[in-house]
Amino acid sequence: MIEANQRVKADSVDAISLEVIRHGLISITNQIDANIKRTAFSPYIYEYNDFAVGLTDPDGQLVAQCTGGMPPFVADSVGMAVRDGLQIYGRDRLHHGDVVLCNHAAVQGQHLNNTVMYTPVFGGVDQSLLIGFFAINVHWIDIGGSVPRSTDIFMEGLQLRTIKLWSKGEPIEEVYRIIENNSRMPTELMGDISAQLAGCLLGRDLTRDLASRYGTATFFKAIEIILDQSEAAARAIIRAMPDGVYVAETYLDNDRTSDNPLLIRVKVIIVDDEMTVDYTEIADQVAGPINSGYFGGGQTTARVAFKYLLGADEMANEGTFRPLKLVLPKGKILSAEPTAPMGNYSTPFPTVIDVVVRALENALPDRVPGGHFATHSGVRFHGRRPDGSFFDSHDSGHGGWGGCATHDGSGPFRTMAHGDTRIIPLELQEASLPMRIEEFTLREDSCGAGKFRGGLGFRKKYKILQSCLLQTNLDRTKFPPWGVQGGRAALPGRFILERAGEPARDISKEKGITLQAGDVVCVETGGGGGYGLPRDRSLELIQSDLDAGYISVECAKRDYEISLGLDGKVRRVSEI
Amino acid sequence: MSYVVAVDIGGTFTDLVAYDYDARRAIYTKSPTTYENFVDGILECFEKANISPDKTKFLNHGTTLVINSLIQRRGSNAALITTKGFRDVLEIARGNRPDPFDLHYRRDAPVIPRQMRFEVQERIGSHGEIVIPLDVLALRELASSLRTKHVDSIAVFFMNSYANAVHELEAANVLRDLLPGVYVTTSTELTREWYEYERSSTVAANAFVGPQVNTYIRRLEKDLSDKGFCGSLFMMGSNGGLLSVERTCRQPIALVESGPIGGCIGAGAYAEALGLKNLIAFDMGGTTAKCALVENGQFTVESTYYVGGYTNGFPIRSPVIDIVEVGSGGGSIAWLDGQNRLHVGPQSAGSTPGPVCYGRGGDKATVTDANLILGRLNPERFLGGELTLDQAGASEAIRKISAPLGFSGADATVQMANGILSIATVIMAGAIKQISVQHGLDPRDFALFSYGGGGPLHASALARELSIPTVIIPPEPGNFSAVGMLLADARIDLAEVYSANLDASAVDCCAEIFARLEDEARIALEHEFGAAEIFFDRRAEMRYVGQRHNIKVPISGLKDDTQIRSAFENDYERRYGHADKRAQVEFQTAHLSAFARQRRPDLSHLPRPQEPFTAPLYRKVYFEVGAYPLETAVYNRTSLPPGFIATGPALIEEYGSTTVVWPGDSFEIGSLYEIRVTVKGAQS
Repeated sequence: MIEANQRVKADSVDAISLEVIRHGLISITNQIDANIKRTAFSPYIYEYNDFAVGLTDPDGQLVAQCTGGMPPFVADSVGMAVRDGLQIYGRDRLHHGDVVLCNHAAVQGQHLNNTVMYTPVFGGVDQSLLIGFFAINVHWIDIGGSVPRSTDIFMEGLQLRTIKLWSKGEPIEEVYRIIENNSRMPTELMGDISAQLAGCLLGRDLTRDLASRYGTATFFKAIEIILDQSEAAARAIIRAMPDGVYVAETYLDNDRTSDNPLLIRVKVIIVDDEMTVDYTEIADQVAGPINSGYFGGGQTTARVAFKYLLGADEMANEGTFRPLKLVLPKGKILSAEPTAPMGNYSTPFPTVIDVVVRALENALPDRVPGGHFATHSGVRFHGRRPDGSFFDSHDSGHGGWGGCATHDGSGPFRTMAHGDTRIIPLELQEASLPMRIEEFTLREDSCGAGKFRGGLGFRKKYKILQSCLLQTNLDRTKFPPWGVQGGRAALPGRFILERAGEPARDISKEKGITLQAGDVVCVETGGGGGYGLPRDRSLELIQSDLDAGYISVECAKRDYEISLGLDGKVRRVSEI
Repeated sequence: MSYVVAVDIGGTFTDLVAYDYDARRAIYTKSPTTYENFVDGILECFEKANISPDKTKFLNHGTTLVINSLIQRRGSNAALITTKGFRDVLEIARGNRPDPFDLHYRRDAPVIPRQMRFEVQERIGSHGEIVIPLDVLALRELASSLRTKHVDSIAVFFMNSYANAVHELEAANVLRDLLPGVYVTTSTELTREWYEYERSSTVAANAFVGPQVNTYIRRLEKDLSDKGFCGSLFMMGSNGGLLSVERTCRQPIALVESGPIGGCIGAGAYAEALGLKNLIAFDMGGTTAKCALVENGQFTVESTYYVGGYTNGFPIRSPVIDIVEVGSGGGSIAWLDGQNRLHVGPQSAGSTPGPVCYGRGGDKATVTDANLILGRLNPERFLGGELTLDQAGASEAIRKISAPLGFSGADATVQMANGILSIATVIMAGAIKQISVQHGLDPRDFALFSYGGGGPLHASALARELSIPTVIIPPEPGNFSAVGMLLADARIDLAEVYSANLDASAVDCCAEIFARLEDEARIALEHEFGAAEIFFDRRAEMRYVGQRHNIKVPISGLKDDTQIRSAFENDYERRYGHADKRAQVEFQTAHLSAFARQRRPDLSHLPRPQEPFTAPLYRKVYFEVGAYPLETAVYNRTSLPPGFIATGPALIEEYGSTTVVWPGDSFEIGSLYEIRVTVKGAQS
């Protein structure tokens, strides 16, 4: 209705219709996002937000996606699958009412649980014009396999490469049967699949309605402009960064099969309004299941880091990422062969993303904070309850984030590869699992010192009330979160088993140990690195850290060269 | 003469509505909010309206005191006492970053800092068993050290107290005994639901505002009684019901959304009187728009509310009517970003400087300026003529942003003004979609009930966007929050965790819990509100075993597990489109709402005195269709009698608001003097 009278010569879509379409697209993906969260069966979805909702154009280029969801999914987790479908079927063999699945390692390059489902959207006068694909990536709760002991992808479960689940509006029951019979948790999985399907179909219809309201010609033009504007916004931000070649590195502890540190070395090149992330010197593909593919690993981490550097305001679509170039030879830990084990594919992500950000420490001193704890810090308890029922509990550590140019680091939060992911309430854990939590506190002194110190990690003690199995996944224990601009490193995390009559022992990377009743598992997460020289920290801030007990007196004396008067007030040693 | 009076203290004005039961008429007045002492503004209103406090039987009062104190962190010197090992629960929170790509994200600081959080030895297990007894000796020592720290308020929170509150009660008794004059509050007095962070956050917030709210209420009581008031003072609770002073002093946190709730109650009362089962209550003011659903005559009440918003704020577990709010109001600013993309809000010009057309120094185009340019606001009659609007200024401000977007020519400002309103409409429609579509409800099954200064201006555009066929504008839309407070019943909400698979014996257990909660609520209501008709609403939070999110299902009157299961499945299917007939269903929490019916004024006597009918004037108004303005009838609302029917385009003006009726739509004045607009484009 606006269309008829408000055309502006410069564009073929007037500025108002454009905004209404932009809001409309985001609102559709957000609406489906909320629906999935509410209808899903698995906590991966409604607690961890381990899913993404996106709309692509007819070529599989990401146009819009939900604003929630996990950061790695924001980097376009759905477009790759759609493009594979276009390659295999071509446009002619994708019909209204088709629903396609893909989780294939050669396409997505992530663990096989991440399964994209999509359906074509048709519009136009006779509903025959392909206007895009509505796609949803969901972490399927179980798809078989034996992670973390896997040594290749075939040990990790069922691979579905561009398989139609529905054809022309009819379900293909054989495919449903294959899936149902290849999962340890078929009830939950089939429930999630029906939520995913309902989301795809509703999203498709809402998109079609939006396009038909403005006409497909206007709709296409609007999408073109939306992508161009996002690109221009990203270029403007990069142009403001100083040109140069920037390098940073750290190491992961090991690949879980040997004890050799893995080099994470990244080069970032800024030229005018383009940024290149060069992973040439990063570790090669490894034997343990922490590999990922070119798109699912290399491109994803580079895009996530890029988005962190750009800032939170800009929505991410294919246009946003146009000024980002990737250099990544084959056979690296982030560009592994499709047969490589990938069950814990995202283990390196928090560190890789943080290293890319760190590379710009001196180029963007106002933006780049100290390093964060950067590891999943996972603990998984599984076994049987006294009544014989099975439990399988994934819990994770939250750690400190780095200090920045304006304030102390925050946290404990989950990693840079996570977002709106919430801690599981302790009271819920105690009510449903044979354990009691003995302590849940901030970990004093875990932060890196600096003008603005890092955030603190936490300490969580699980007292085990009944024998069960434990797996853990803690990294970066040897290479702690770094400081920037003269700030100091933080403490790394550590997992300790306290068992009566035995010395405490480290349990950071267990593939499965049996716990006994009475054991205490102590999870201590790493802090965040500091920002700026510790001697530039104000006495007021040091005092308030001591008052609150965030840091100990010994630590304050060591890091900040202060002494404590009888009145409990801090003074600089140099001023006494 | 006897009055029931409602007072709503807002950011700019203190609104008073009184109903005179003898003369059967309502009196409206307002006076500027007095920040130094809010009570002065209230007394000023009594004086202006010429109502003697000694003739006032009931005073229902809504205030933003609690939310302001929490957001501005202006509260008491409070301490938290908690289980050994858990003093940081309040600070660690849930460890999430709702703004995933903000490298510098941080959550608002907790209301009680770490050095004021103390631990004592005690432990309750998840089944309510005592694992470690409360160390009373240590608690006594702690109490004396708190005295030296001049603590004026203490929050007590222990792990698993939802399963057994005995240690919290014991600790509170010890503290009250040793520290007379110090405000002591426990987590289980406020909520018996599980989740330690939410409960500790709730009790911390309650301790933070407790002393201040108590002081305020005692002062209000005293000042009123000095003026002869000997009626009953009730506070407006966020759950949509009146609270006694006694309960408010114990649970001030229950006032967190005390202000905006009035409008929702009013909407519910009109829905009942008009025989409408489903409506969307839509309130648009200067800085935000808010909406809430009435479904089958009832509001959804949520038990978690985020103070300061989900992104940076903290949760409290307190029943609050589910209101979705977006930063879109009359003062919302239209602006261009670096890529010349047009945005409207969430920044607002507020009431100072306000929109450009107010002529108080505002220089950024707002939604109100756009309405003025399109002819929808009368520059001479704004707020009954108290303020003359500056058209040239508004026009100039809009031109500033229209030029970079390529709009030119004579009607550039009109196109731009239309555009600003289109975007505001899309944003507000998003809020309504969030609250309806996302819960599996179809807005077309609802009437749009619109109030607030801006609600009537935008309602029909919004109804078009959402395909809603009926818009209703109640009398006094500008004072509607206070009107609603006049119509409230007393209400108490109680909840108890009850986790069990749904079967016959669980239904019996659940019924016992409800019976116990009902006894408790009945005794409390009778004690606080005297003899009255009391009625209950039972709801069970339920889910499929294995899920972690619950839905709240009304189960009043349901007899057995089959009926309850089918109520659950129907609700589940409606929300999510599918239900699993085989999966095991479980109870999670029992929620009881108890109401004591209050005497309610006859709605047909609420409007201001009628004037004789006057023929409409005409002026040119722009609507989206075509770039030319339409000759539009402008009615004076107080001159329109029930039964009056006319077609759009039309404007209906009254003090504080203007209703827009679009071309092709029609409207009718209903029996309660409500305007009922039939939106033609939306009928499908």
